[in-house]
Amino acid sequence: MKPAPFEYVAPDTIEEACEHLAAAGGGATVLAGGQTLLPLLALRMSQPFVLVDIQRIRDLVGVKPAADGGTRIGPMTRQSAVIDDATIARKLPLVATATRHIGHHPIRNRGTIGGSIALGEPAAELPATALALGAVVELRSTRGTRRVAAEELYWGPYSTAIESDELMTAIDFPDWPADSIALFRELAPRPGDFALVGLTGAVSVREGRIARAGLAWFGMGPTPIRARQAEAALLGQTLDKLEVGEVAELAVRETAPFDDHHASAEYRRTVGRRLFARTLNEAVSVRRSA
Amino acid sequence: MTVAAHSGESRYIGKRLPRSEDGRLLTGRGTYVDDIDLPGMLHVAFVRSPIARGEIRSIDLSAALDLPGVHAIYTAKELAQLKVDMLSFFLGAPAIAIAPLAAERVAYVGDPFAMVVAQDRYVAEDAAGLVLVDYAEEEPVITLSDAKSSSTIVHGGTDSNVAVGMGEEDNEELEELLAHAPHVITNTITHQRIAQAPIETRGVVVAPQGSDELTIYISCQSPQMAARYIATAFGLPQTGIRVIAKDVGGSFGLKVQPWREEMAVIAAGRLCGRPLKWIEDRLENLTASNHAREQEITVRTAFDENGLLLASHCDYSINNGAYPQGADCNIAVAIFMWAAYKLPSFGFQARGFYTNTPGLGAYRGPWAMETLVRETSLDIAARKLGIDPIEIRRRNIVHRADQPRTTPFGIVLEDITPAECLEALLEKLDVAAFREEQAAARKQGRYLGLGIAAYIEPTAGSSGIAVLASDVAQLRIEPTGKVTAVLSTHSQGHGTQTTMAQVIADKLGVAFEDVSVYEDDSSRGGFGAGASGSRQAVAGGGASIKAAELLADKLKRIAAHLLNAEPTSVHIADGMVHIAGAPEKTKSLREIAEIAYGDPERLPAGMEAGLEAQYRYRPPPITLTSAAHACIVEVDTDTGFLKIMRWISSEDCGVMINPAVVEGQIAGGLAQAIGTVLLEAQPIDARGNPTAATFKDYMLPTIFDVPDFEFVHANTPSQAEGGFRGVGEGGCIVGPPTLVNAIADALAPFGQLTLDLPLTPTKLLEVIEGRSLAPQAHVAAPSSMPAPLAAAAVVTPEPVRAAAPSSIDGMWKLVLATPLGPQTFTGRFATQGDVIIGTLYSGDLDPASFEGKMLGNHCQWDLKVTKPISITLKYNVWFEGEKLHGKVKMGIFGNAKLIGERMHE
Amino acid sequence: MSTHSIRVVINGRAHSASVEGRLTLSDFLRTDAGFTGVHVGCEHGVCGACTVIVDGEAVRACLMLAVQADGCQITTVEGLAAPDGTLHPVQQALRDEHGLQCGFCTPGVVMTLVALTRGPKRPSRDVLLESLSGHLCRCTGYQGIRRAAIKLAAEDA
Repeated sequence: MKPAPFEYVAPDTIEEACEHLAAAGGGATVLAGGQTLLPLLALRMSQPFVLVDIQRIRDLVGVKPAADGGTRIGPMTRQSAVIDDATIARKLPLVATATRHIGHHPIRNRGTIGGSIALGEPAAELPATALALGAVVELRSTRGTRRVAAEELYWGPYSTAIESDELMTAIDFPDWPADSIALFRELAPRPGDFALVGLTGAVSVREGRIARAGLAWFGMGPTPIRARQAEAALLGQTLDKLEVGEVAELAVRETAPFDDHHASAEYRRTVGRRLFARTLNEAVSVRRSA
Repeated sequence: MTVAAHSGESRYIGKRLPRSEDGRLLTGRGTYVDDIDLPGMLHVAFVRSPIARGEIRSIDLSAALDLPGVHAIYTAKELAQLKVDMLSFFLGAPAIAIAPLAAERVAYVGDPFAMVVAQDRYVAEDAAGLVLVDYAEEEPVITLSDAKSSSTIVHGGTDSNVAVGMGEEDNEELEELLAHAPHVITNTITHQRIAQAPIETRGVVVAPQGSDELTIYISCQSPQMAARYIATAFGLPQTGIRVIAKDVGGSFGLKVQPWREEMAVIAAGRLCGRPLKWIEDRLENLTASNHAREQEITVRTAFDENGLLLASHCDYSINNGAYPQGADCNIAVAIFMWAAYKLPSFGFQARGFYTNTPGLGAYRGPWAMETLVRETSLDIAARKLGIDPIEIRRRNIVHRADQPRTTPFGIVLEDITPAECLEALLEKLDVAAFREEQAAARKQGRYLGLGIAAYIEPTAGSSGIAVLASDVAQLRIEPTGKVTAVLSTHSQGHGTQTTMAQVIADKLGVAFEDVSVYEDDSSRGGFGAGASGSRQAVAGGGASIKAAELLADKLKRIAAHLLNAEPTSVHIADGMVHIAGAPEKTKSLREIAEIAYGDPERLPAGMEAGLEAQYRYRPPPITLTSAAHACIVEVDTDTGFLKIMRWISSEDCGVMINPAVVEGQIAGGLAQAIGTVLLEAQPIDARGNPTAATFKDYMLPTIFDVPDFEFVHANTPSQAEGGFRGVGEGGCIVGPPTLVNAIADALAPFGQLTLDLPLTPTKLLEVIEGRSLAPQAHVAAPSSMPAPLAAAAVVTPEPVRAAAPSSIDGMWKLVLATPLGPQTFTGRFATQGDVIIGTLYSGDLDPASFEGKMLGNHCQWDLKVTKPISITLKYNVWFEGEKLHGKVKMGIFGNAKLIGERMHE
Repeated sequence: MSTHSIRVVINGRAHSASVEGRLTLSDFLRTDAGFTGVHVGCEHGVCGACTVIVDGEAVRACLMLAVQADGCQITTVEGLAAPDGTLHPVQQALRDEHGLQCGFCTPGVVMTLVALTRGPKRPSRDVLLESLSGHLCRCTGYQGIRRAAIKLAAEDA
């Protein structure tokens, strides 16, 4: 399983990278962490003319405050760095939790947050987390810069709004209150496998009532799926009188899971409902006892 | 029973010595076949059929041959210059014609029909992608059900798809018994197709030397066996063939004999005269090598009111694929099914079927179904009759007191101990306490289960099969006093380099560190089958003991002669020769050896010089190993996931040479059992595609899937030399029913478990929920490695027809922006009025032709593809002069942009 | 198809080469640099046999291109034992616990454990076992591998 031939370039700046992408006329692929792309190259499922390796572009790495509030994460920030980052631990603990579930230790040493978010694997943790928290990505090309919200980003399995000449240059996460409750659960056959059912999100409470909720599924459809009806049902509720079962039912209704030989769609819906309820209950009771 | 009196005590046999091979394996200095690099060596990649059945109408190699770095491409036509018989493991001719490469017809997806020889594997794969083939695809026969009912015959020249059939179709007496029995249990098991999946794939390097001499490095289970196979298959003298395999990264039956790709490479090597290397990649290994275990079985078993066995009938089928390594109906399943139990009446029908799928190969304990179906049947009966599952076994199993006894199939039982293993196990497991815990847990909504299974296993079988008849050990005490042993054993992880040295050191009276064992080179030593049928401790150990005894005896006679003593007073220990009562006469082995080789005049008159001995040992016709296992699971009834809480193995493998090695073999087999029951499957779709293409889909157990195993060693010496019994395959045979029974016990309150392996969380949840969770008529998900959805074929620039710029006619270079990155391919278009006809060529897939509508500079067409999933691509394209652009709708996968550029010659 | 000059330090020795863009790090280490202790089990990043240490971190060599390793320090399993043959503690632990049979997955297991136990603080048992979940072994059933990892972990974790 050896890759087909390609031209390899490793630009030092974002501008150079965009020029390479534009010049290739659709025949280029961006190489970030490579943990998903290299197997596809090996299987010859992806056969780009040009591979644009962005690992040298320092401007794409790092975590800092975003211009308009929130946190800006460079897409080439390695997953292992995301897990260890102090700012993310403080402001976006859900992102660290989700990242900890990706693959295995050596995969996380090379894999990047941007690579995962740009790929749009329906059973992956980070696209769903970006969706749940309301992230916005910045895309640059020789034609200019634009921003796309996570909810506009994912079109289908591995199919995103990112054009072939665009490079993701930042992922902006909005601020969530420091005492937000994080919810995360992944059910996978073995550690590091694609999730059969996954749930990620955050809920914040103000004056005893749920003021904000961002919840998304992964592994439950052709893209990560935002559980909007469930979010709406949660708003205004108090933690001690939460109608968890009803909310779980609403959450599952919005999903469109597949049948595959790991699990059937009906399995995913049935278990999804339970996992949602279990996860919400656990998160809430931890908060209530705190 | 002959544990012979010998000069050494057991200083080493029975000890958990660290392994000799670990030194090189831990430091990356093992030598596996891909580590071999020879001057002038070229690399092979195979071109394989994408269809399961059909005719190859034409092959165009021109573009592939033109690629720089390509040396040659061989097809069946070139290889036919050499005779190659694709023999079975037993060196028997196949029942159907099998050649290394497919010629005019292909019989399964992955069937190799051409091989590219190039400067490296990268270029070879590039060239393989440029081979242009025209197929006439036919409707394949895929499942056992298809094979039984289809009018399509897989192999021309045969009149049915039955590869082998044994047993009888109608046994009226048996049916009478079953009809009138107080209780009849019907147990149907559907077993999935398994890939052996050793972490090292197959591979071979052939180095031709002269016209008929070959040195071959091959990942195998025995260099001796491989050399004999290769010589016989090619009709060459074995003396000119040297097979070397120092380290092999696991095999589990996959590599028990060279198969088509390896033989094709060796043949090509002979034809081209250059060293050639082929290393199977993981995609080939999972999808195109020989698989195992795809079976269906229904066993009906009758019991009386007390749970005593009355009669049983077995109807068994196994998928042989297109080219099995020996057509097989797995008669051992019938033979061993009730061998360890007292069953008065048995009948069976066993059939192997040909299908258009990868062929049947061996996998650890090929007959394992017999224990799976029997032990699950006993538990089902126990539940139905309200008898404790342990009790129902006690009542029916063959105890020591019941032996000797001969089974209906003629197996003589003299020293099997499954009952005693079970009792030994129960000393470690408080079943009553568990049942209390189970009952209490159920009240809390937690579901624990206990599974028990007992079995016997034929090991080191030697009678009736020529290649298994014997193993040989050649021992040499070197002039230095160290011992060199060349054996016909072979390790792919078995640790024979260590265990045989333990035996030899004990029997000779030398230090373990002073014994070096070699088994890696067919030019040294003599023939043996190596690793197969759990034989090596018995056959290799026995040969080692007998050769060591010969050598020890000679040594004593020489020492007695040299030192003026009685041979009976000579004692060898730690490499020193002692005379009882005369400590001053002590000599080192080295001193004796120097004389034996360098000064043989001093030896007893007429004695052969040197200190070398060989023994070719014939094991008993069969050596039976027994065991009983138990495991406890907890099933999460919300998700259908389960956790194995505890697993106890209680085995009788005779005298253990190295308990750590024994436990390692059992543990490895049990991990495979867990994989078989819960995780592994190689499903073949309706078009014949094996769908688990990577380790993401073919799921092997990880460290978290396997508990800490507890071992009880309830050993009784066997009749074989040394008292050994085999143990290699056991975990893989008794493991599955142990786990299945535990799951069935855990879920008993919910209903009966359907035995359709693997028992995925979805299937367990169905039992818990009491309803089907099966797929409705949905579009299936993308596979875990979603494929680009462009049409397929070879990038072969065809002559471009001169075309007016105002027409789309001609050749185009196209790029489709798929979700996974750009797919580059080419297309040839032609318009006839308002119709556009075209063919798309891309990558490794077939040319895809289409017809669509053309209006001005706008055209649309649909293209149905079946790989990797069935989907219709809808093209919507505009062209302008030298450029075209458009959109392709890819079903549920959304849209992708298409751009194109006209090509000019 | 592009070729690139790279310079890497492998097991303490500098190595220069001209490589195709598509050459994987695993193939480069094995074939160009001669370190056949790096084993290739799947070429799609799941089995872990090809794990090496790049700039201090465990990495799957089949999921890196050789050209990406330009300027990096790489350790393979051949670089661990002392010149006099004394095994690295990870290698010794696996030997003592019978953590290998065929040895094919072993270099990868060794390198992951070495990478995690290199630091001043011993990692917890959970961290080590989690890291081993990315290594497939078909022979041992993981019994000895698990015992070795527990031995190497911090005692109180």
